[in-house]
Amino acid sequence: MAQPTLYQYELDEASYRVRLLLSMLRCDYETVAVDMFPGQEHVKPAMLALNPQGTLPVLTQDGLVLHGTAAILMYLARAYDPAGRFLPEAPAVFGPVVTWLGFSETALAPALQARLAAMFAAPGDADALRARARAAFRTMDDHMTMRHFDGQDWFCGDGATLADIALFPAFALSRDYGIDHDAFPALRRWIRRVRALDGFITMPGIPDYH
Amino acid sequence: MRLEEGWVPVALSSSIEAGTSAGAVVAGSEIVVWRDTGGTAHVWEDRCPHRGMRLSFGFVRGDHIACLYHGWQYDAAGQCRYIPAHPNLDVPQTIKVPLYRVAERYGIVWATASAQALLPDVGAQTDIAPVRSVTIDCPAAAVRAELGLEGPISVITLDGDRLLAAVQTVAPARSCLHLVLLDAAPGPVARQKHHARWAQALRFRLETASEVA
Ligand code: FES
Repeated sequence: MAQPTLYQYELDEASYRVRLLLSMLRCDYETVAVDMFPGQEHVKPAMLALNPQGTLPVLTQDGLVLHGTAAILMYLARAYDPAGRFLPEAPAVFGPVVTWLGFSETALAPALQARLAAMFAAPGDADALRARARAAFRTMDDHMTMRHFDGQDWFCGDGATLADIALFPAFALSRDYGIDHDAFPALRRWIRRVRALDGFITMPGIPDYH
Repeated sequence: MRLEEGWVPVALSSSIEAGTSAGAVVAGSEIVVWRDTGGTAHVWEDRCPHRGMRLSFGFVRGDHIACLYHGWQYDAAGQCRYIPAHPNLDVPQTIKVPLYRVAERYGIVWATASAQALLPDVGAQTDIAPVRSVTIDCPAAAVRAELGLEGPISVITLDGDRLLAAVQTVAPARSCLHLVLLDAAPGPVARQKHHARWAQALRFRLETASEVA
């Protein structure tokens, strides 16, 4: 199998989700930088030929072209994590993991948009997006509050999974678009656990404590 | 209640792990609540004297807190001790973060700017188990009214359990309810979850009511 190639933008949260997993899987890969802002290259012919959806990131490998962040994460877990640590086989864990992956694509979409609106003046009603992002973080905080009573540090099962990787960036970057961490004590605890994972990497906006 | 007026509940003790910091807001004043690696809690103004960065964005190193922006480090007394850009400088005494008085009681971190205020007292309590802090988009007075609380703190009875409810004013239309279980039996998980769910339902009720109003 050839190394995968990741078409990505350094400051894009969705691209970071994939880089984070690749790093934790210790997987070597090529990157192609796509100038999302201000270039808008992701919606120009060269990228649209690869991904007509015009979304980032895009992953290619051995003739496959994959888009959609959750799909890429699941693919990489299948390809490089044969033990199924990040995407466990057991239905009782698999089910919740893919449920939260779905959440990361839907409920957290306003969080991604809020950040792009705040940082790159991308279109969108900033207040409405922030309110919806905050509602999503509440759902996550309520969940992790309950998990903590059971002595569990992670969204599903008893280790870090794709759910944690897909959900982490939006909350860790929330100050970029004006949502403080004050109101989410269970998520504050959780992001510290994520940061301590083997292979964890940061991106601009997520400080490296030195 | 403002920090100048008396002791304000600002976090559950269990939410501030050793070696970590968190931001909070009391009636519009931004504070940082942090715990040094020795376990002592500190509450300061959340503003770095250098360029005003929120210190709660920074990180704890032993009994110092380091600002995220340019790495200035402050000791437990709020005194700046180290400026990375000038490692040999004897840091002037004037570079100091304003501190609040801090106490931990009933599993809650309390802070005040008042020299006289007496710490809230609901008698000796044992077997305290944390439930949760829940932020609610409504005035603190509405939370107190709903729970029938006299002041910012009260013992309430809920579905056969005694709980301590403490209300923090965040902003005119935002408050935070800190809830702990008293007389907790060993392994209180089911009761903690029960009351955490109750707090979620309370949040829904109060926010729905304040939308209608
Ligand atoms: S603003 Fe804190 S060190 Fe510069």
